[in-house]
Amino acid sequence: MNDQLTARLAGPPPQPGIFDELSKREIRRAMLSGIAIPGYQVPFGSREMPVARGWGSGGLQATLSLVGEDSRLKVIDQGEDAGVNASNLRRLVVSHVGCEEETDTRHADIIQSRHRIPEQPLRDGQVLVLQVPGAEPLAGIVRDMDEQRRMHAEADYAKMWVRLYEDVVHNGLITAAAGYPVLVEGRYIMTPSPIPRWDVPKLDRSEAITVLSAGREKRIFAVPPHTSVVPLTFEDRPFEVEHTPGAACRLCGSADTYIVQEPAADGRFTTWVCSDTDFCRRRRTGDAPAPAQPVQGETA
Amino acid sequence: MGYSGVRGGQEAIEAAERLVERARFGGHSRWLELDQITERLGPAVDRVMGEGGLWAPHLAARAVRQSQGDLLEAAQLLRAHRSTLPRLGYSLPADTAELPAVRRVAPAHRNPPGGQLLGRSADFTPRLLDLGPEGPAGAHTCEVPNGPDLPHDRLPESAGSDPEAVLRDAGLLPDRRNTDDPEPYDITRAPARPGTPRSARLSAMARAETGSLTHLWYTCGRSPRHQSPEIPLELRRGRLPLRVTHPHTGRPVTVAAVQVTEARTVRPIARPRPDGTRFDLGYGLCFGENEPKALAMAGLDLLVHRDPHTDRLEQKVLIALDGPEASGFLEHLKLPHYVDFRSTMERVQAVRAAAGGRA
Repeated sequence: MNDQLTARLAGPPPQPGIFDELSKREIRRAMLSGIAIPGYQVPFGSREMPVARGWGSGGLQATLSLVGEDSRLKVIDQGEDAGVNASNLRRLVVSHVGCEEETDTRHADIIQSRHRIPEQPLRDGQVLVLQVPGAEPLAGIVRDMDEQRRMHAEADYAKMWVRLYEDVVHNGLITAAAGYPVLVEGRYIMTPSPIPRWDVPKLDRSEAITVLSAGREKRIFAVPPHTSVVPLTFEDRPFEVEHTPGAACRLCGSADTYIVQEPAADGRFTTWVCSDTDFCRRRRTGDAPAPAQPVQGETA
Repeated sequence: MGYSGVRGGQEAIEAAERLVERARFGGHSRWLELDQITERLGPAVDRVMGEGGLWAPHLAARAVRQSQGDLLEAAQLLRAHRSTLPRLGYSLPADTAELPAVRRVAPAHRNPPGGQLLGRSADFTPRLLDLGPEGPAGAHTCEVPNGPDLPHDRLPESAGSDPEAVLRDAGLLPDRRNTDDPEPYDITRAPARPGTPRSARLSAMARAETGSLTHLWYTCGRSPRHQSPEIPLELRRGRLPLRVTHPHTGRPVTVAAVQVTEARTVRPIARPRPDGTRFDLGYGLCFGENEPKALAMAGLDLLVHRDPHTDRLEQKVLIALDGPEASGFLEHLKLPHYVDFRSTMERVQAVRAAAGGRA
């Protein structure tokens, strides 16, 4: 009798491993709140994960709360499936949940990523989980957290605009690199994790859900499908994505993907490769959308 | 599509882990047993339990052993272990007046009510490196001292009389006790941030990294704004009984006796502020034997209460002192960053071009 009662009070036995079921439910609630208020940073009781804070503990909590045994999971870091960090997070989730590993973006249900959005346009039903080291776009403008929250609450973003204007005055252009500030659905300013500017247009009216999860800062925010995401800039200053004239991937020849430098035979960083290794491989086998016209200007 | 192309990282990780395991399990010395760690490295175990936010000496000893003595890493291991456990309930409020103190110093008074008890402390042991000969493996090189306990090695049972009450009754202390008895703010379930109640601040400091807490107290407590002297009323150590409501009988039942260190500290109102008629009071309580932590915590509790906004002290106390967060974020710089490096490089080059190619 007593044993039964104790067992009932204790609830179902915890799944051995990483994360208890009640916590997963809490994370899902936070994600739903984020989806309901696009771009708003939802505070949540972020749990410690078997990876250090800052190493994807937020993304891991979101992914673990979403995947089931029949999910196909893709994990990338810097666009690459094979990197040490991506491999580590993938094996953690797969060993805990027993879901399917996937590298082809088209077939993944959930994509956990650090610093990139895949080149392959995402489709309805997919969830992109981005790891976020710093959730607050106003952190570099005002240091007081109370003031940051007030500014968001009142949509008082004047100081952000002044900062961008000062940048233009001092440097001749807006120097924000990765994590470029965006306005979500005309309401909240958001930092889209440090994805390159190249990836920012992919967030706009995406078919997929984007969940951004900051474990250390204990905030989750989201961009639901078909939501407008507009990079902050001035009418006479078109938004500029990364572009190096004449550069193209040495493997697949693409000039319409995000490419990163690699040392050439002479040891100098003069050649380029795609950062999205899955898309690059598919380009080489003719299994990817054909290259668009080479990028002409620097605007997107 | 096969998975052969993405195994490189996985193989590298496994090789790195083999090297770590070789260091952990290899070597010629005897395997460290958990009792050795809890008995001989008590303060290390205490510190890990405090920063890990989990009272579990044997689990903490495992963490210390697994991290090969890296206490920050051990705290991270304990925190991650916490996340695997469901939260089933909360203990009943514990009253530290019940604490049977094994050590109590009251620096503000020569002969305080309840008495002084030096207890087990190395405070007055000369800091000389013990260079005695090493005995054969496993043998004690020192006899365990067997002298008589002094009569004042134990406080009288009725030594609950607290110096804080004496000052408060004299009208010299503000009463910082809550009369509405709100539930404590659980910082593991909702983030601590400016504006959260004092209980959030105290929990955040109880889990804070000891070194960070010491540093913040050292830099803030000695700034010109806080020139008034800080004098602890009381510093105590002992085992605090914790009770939960028995799920079946509904009666309180003691489930653990956790070792704690408790500190209360006062400062007069800093000149030239108005109202110099009273002291400010700060409170600290942490797991285990960790006197610097309890003292720094009490000192910072007082300073935040007095002036939360200058230098964003409240914000720092709430979000900048956590060991796993600070060290995790620092070490994440080791992860690949070449995607954002390219983005940043492109902007630097664009600024150069806009400046006409001049540096």
